[in-house]
Amino acid sequence: MNVIFYIASIIAILATIMVITGRNAIHSLLFLIVSLLAIGVVFFTLGAPFMAALEVIIYAGAIMVLFVFVIMMLNLGKAYEKMEESWFSYKAWLGPGILCIILLGELIYVFTVTKGSGRQLTVISPQEVGMTLFGPYILGVELAAMLLMTGIIGAYHIGRRKQKEYHRLLQKEEEPA
Amino acid sequence: MINGADIHLLLPEIILGLAAIVVMLSIAVKRCHLFAHIFSLAAFALAFISLFLIHVNGTQVTDLFITDGYSRFFTGLIIAAAFFIAAISYPYFKTRDIHKEEYYILLILATLGAVSMVISNHFISFFLSLEVMSVSMYSLIAYLKNDSIGIEAGIKYLVMAAVSASILLFGFALIYAQTGQMELSKLQGTISAAVAKDILFIAGMALVIAGIGFKMALVPFHLWTPDIYGGAPAPVSAFVATVSKGAAFAFLLRFFHDLNGSVHNSVWIAFAVIAIASMLIGNLLALRQQNIKRILAYSSIGHLGYLMVALLAASVVGIKAAVFYLVTYFISMLSAFGIVSYLSGKDNELYDLDDYKGLFWQRPWLAALFTMVLLSLAGIPLTAGFMGKFYLLLSGIGSSLWILTIVLVVSSFVGLYYYLRVALMMFTHSELPRQKFKGGSFVPASILLALMFIFLLWIGIFPGTLLDIIQHLIPAI
Repeated sequence: MNVIFYIASIIAILATIMVITGRNAIHSLLFLIVSLLAIGVVFFTLGAPFMAALEVIIYAGAIMVLFVFVIMMLNLGKAYEKMEESWFSYKAWLGPGILCIILLGELIYVFTVTKGSGRQLTVISPQEVGMTLFGPYILGVELAAMLLMTGIIGAYHIGRRKQKEYHRLLQKEEEPA
Repeated sequence: MINGADIHLLLPEIILGLAAIVVMLSIAVKRCHLFAHIFSLAAFALAFISLFLIHVNGTQVTDLFITDGYSRFFTGLIIAAAFFIAAISYPYFKTRDIHKEEYYILLILATLGAVSMVISNHFISFFLSLEVMSVSMYSLIAYLKNDSIGIEAGIKYLVMAAVSASILLFGFALIYAQTGQMELSKLQGTISAAVAKDILFIAGMALVIAGIGFKMALVPFHLWTPDIYGGAPAPVSAFVATVSKGAAFAFLLRFFHDLNGSVHNSVWIAFAVIAIASMLIGNLLALRQQNIKRILAYSSIGHLGYLMVALLAASVVGIKAAVFYLVTYFISMLSAFGIVSYLSGKDNELYDLDDYKGLFWQRPWLAALFTMVLLSLAGIPLTAGFMGKFYLLLSGIGSSLWILTIVLVVSSFVGLYYYLRVALMMFTHSELPRQKFKGGSFVPASILLALMFIFLLWIGIFPGTLLDIIQHLIPAI
């Protein structure tokens, strides 16, 4: 299991780096799907098969496929790649990049200094997840429901286009005015 | 598991959640701005009244929430602020050419998020409620979607808030990894001397500071504030300035108090540096602003810095001073943004400083209130802000935080300059026609603004009433 864990983690990291550095939006998204699948494997090796399944079904399956379709429909193409190149001149990313590398160095230092306590693997079944979710954390589930409602209403308002087409009877009334 | 006896403790949250659903369903039947407005006002009023019906004595409702006097006080404060914001929203949105009903749903949901943040006793519930509030604020900030500045502000907030939320989550994860505990009230018991010194735990605390610091707009994380305040509709700016920051501060205060000094010194120093930077930079950057909403934004950065002094005092006096100051800050900020939105016309907002030239000669009462608000923000005697600052200083001196106290005094003097500059502008005589201040003839909003005027004076002259309430509800947190 350990070997699988490390292979999957390395794939996840590499794929995520490719997502960020890729110029073509579709390529980036495909790499993101690979990264999410790899994280699914990581969850599986850590003893959370239910989370692994959710990761594949929801993220890699539903959300990312939707993303791919939207990006394909927008059909950004070469012109967009050129535009993105002009946005990300090295002046723009140099400063934040250096800061991020410093942070990464700190993070690696923090994790190497801390002694690991060894993995005690306990497999958590979907049943246990459900019992916890709808037992002590039921109010959290309710809050998450409110969160979804907020997202839908906000997206509806921002995304709504003003209706310009009238019914043909109304159109006649509009014309003289 | 939640049981029937505990459920009534969450009455305000349940009322707000139901109200949001009812307004949403009412849109499906018929769109009516006035109904949505009055219904949301009634919901806020009902939620406020329900606070008096529940008996709280530090009961935990499942692991996630806790209802005690402290959470009850902040719940009441936030709901009252939301009531005021909903009231000033009606004249502001009435003449605008968009759908208005969704605004009230989002406002109620954002308030629900803020209220849940205040009663959170668990990292998970805090994060979920923070997201409920943030997600509704993305759309509230960009609500006037024909306005490109508003959309820009909304996208900026979306990106920044999403990044800061992920940082916060990573911080929580690191703390959980070291302590194995996410409940605030049990966290302290798990922090042994070894854990407190542990570098992973300190890194987690640093990330939490960054995440919450973003919500409170403390200095290294403040860059979004002026743009969002300037771009959002004035009532929404009022929400960002008061409810959102107040809820984050309430949680931070509880978190800090529950840790009870068992954190490493470096965490304390990080907070102190952030407090000093917020006080100085917030006030200095406000000096050269011409946009009144941006001035208020920078001023709010400074005020949150002042509040951090009381937090760092880490005493019972400090907590009470912080709560007192937060109340005066809420009243002042709400009235300031209330006036800005009150004076706004159909398509434009009155935000340029020059627009306020000669306000006194045409709307003397409004100008008097605005002056009062500015004096209170500056902390001039006889206003609420003075008493608030007085208690802050008292708590700072009581815990002998000399450097912080001195910075507080110095930056207050700097602040005086730009507050008085605005006040002076209103009293400058100008020959412009009367129609300039065309907004503002809505009676309920005027009554509420007048009430704010009375509150500011009342707390400034007789602070005992408010102190008694705080004393009663927050005996020792």
